Amino acid sequence: MTLHVLDQLPLWVEGDLSAADLAAVEHHLAKCPACHAVAERLRTSQVWLREAMQPPFVPIDHEHLRHAVMAQIRTEAAAKPVHRLAAIRPTLLAACVASLLIATLIWRQEHATVSLPPLGVPSALPAGSATQTAPVVTPPMARQDLARVAPLKAPLRRPEEPVSSPIEGPARIEFQTANPNIRIIWLAQAKPLPEMNPTPLEAP
Amino acid sequence: MFHGTEAALMDEGLTSLPEASADDPLEPLICRIRAGDVEAFGDLLARTEGRILALAWRILGDRHLAEDAAQETYLRVFRSLNSFRLGERFEAWMVRIAVNVCYDLARKRGPLPAPAEVLDGLEGDAAPMAAEEAVLLHQRRALVRQALATLPLAERTALVLRDLEGHSTEEVARILGVRPVTIRSQVASARAKVQAFCSRLLKPTDGGRP
Ligand SMILES: [Zn+2]
Repeated sequence: MTLHVLDQLPLWVEGDLSAADLAAVEHHLAKCPACHAVAERLRTSQVWLREAMQPPFVPIDHEHLRHAVMAQIRTEAAAKPVHRLAAIRPTLLAACVASLLIATLIWRQEHATVSLPPLGVPSALPAGSATQTAPVVTPPMARQDLARVAPLKAPLRRPEEPVSSPIEGPARIEFQTANPNIRIIWLAQAKPLPEMNPTPLEAP
Repeated sequence: MFHGTEAALMDEGLTSLPEASADDPLEPLICRIRAGDVEAFGDLLARTEGRILALAWRILGDRHLAEDAAQETYLRVFRSLNSFRLGERFEAWMVRIAVNVCYDLARKRGPLPAPAEVLDGLEGDAAPMAAEEAVLLHQRRALVRQALATLPLAERTALVLRDLEGHSTEEVARILGVRPVTIRSQVASARAKVQAFCSRLLKPTDGGRP
C-alpha cells in the first residue's frame, strides 16, 4: 500500500505535479484500480466545486455596488478640494484687499508727478473683468505703455463728461486727479467677492 | 467554521505582486483616477466588479456579506490608490485588498452559517429541469458549500484563488504573501476534503458518512 499515490492525487487532479511526478502517478493509476477510483472521485468533486461556486450575482447587483461605491468616492473626492479652497479663501481675500489699498496709495502718490497724455485711459476696460483685473491695474507704467501702443482704441472722452452711468455705480469708483486730463476709474473695489459673501463664519 | 488565526492579513504594500502585462488595460484607468478623474473609477468598477463580488462570495459564503466586502474593497482601493506601484498587476493588488477585507469581515462574522442556511440561500435555476436532476444538483451544491465552510480560512482562500479564480500557484503565493509550497499544501488539503464530502453523494451506500 505504501506505493499508492493517494497523497499526490489532489495535486495531480489540477496539474500541479512536476513532469517526473506526473509520469509516476499516471503509471501507477494505469494499474491500480483503488487509486484510479479515488482519482475519478477527485476529478468529479472538482467539477462539482466549480459548478457549486458559480457566483449568484446578476447585473443589477453589479449596478447597486457601482452606485454605492461611486456615490461614496464622489463625496470623498469632492470633500478634499473644498477643504483646500476654504483654507485658501481668507488668505486670498486679505491679499486682494491689501493689493487694492497699495494700488490706491501708489496712484494717489504718483498722479501728481507723472503726467500722462490726455487719454481716457481705462475706458476700454471691460466691466466684466473688473474683479480679476483690478489688482493688475496698480503700476502706472503699465498704463503708460498701453497708452503708447494703442492710443486711440477708444474714443476720447472729455473730462467733464459723465464717465459712467449711475446704474453701474457700485462697481465703479472714480478719482479726479490734480491733472484735469487724468481721471482714474477703478472697477474692482466696490464689487463684493461673490464666494466670500454668504455667512463666512458659520462655524462648524 | 473559520479559523481566523490561520489566515494572517497580508500587507497591502510591501510584498511584491505579480508583474503587470505590457498592455494591462487597467493601468491607463489607474493613471486617470490618480490624476483626479473620479469618474474613471466607474470604468474600473465595470471591468472588475464581477470578479471581486465572486471572490468575496466564494471566500465568505454569504451573499450580503460579499456585497459589503466588495464595497469596502473598492473604497480601500480608492483611498490607497497612490500606494499602488505601477508595473505590478493591479488586479492582483486589488485581490489582495479584497482578501484582507474578507478576512476582516469573516472575523467579525464568526463561523460560517450552518449548512441548512447555506441551502436556503441557493439560487433557483431559471431553466426548467427534471425534478430528480434538480434535487441532485441541489444536493451537490449544498455538499460542496458545506465542505468549503468546514475548511480553515487560509485553505479555503487558497482553493478559491487557485481553482476557482484561475490564478497560478505562484500568483496565489505572491498575492497572499506566502511561499508557493504552502499554497500547494493548502490546496491539496482542501481538494481532498471537498472530495471526501462529495463522496457522500458519489457513494451513497457507503457507511462512512462523517
Ligand atoms: Zn494505488
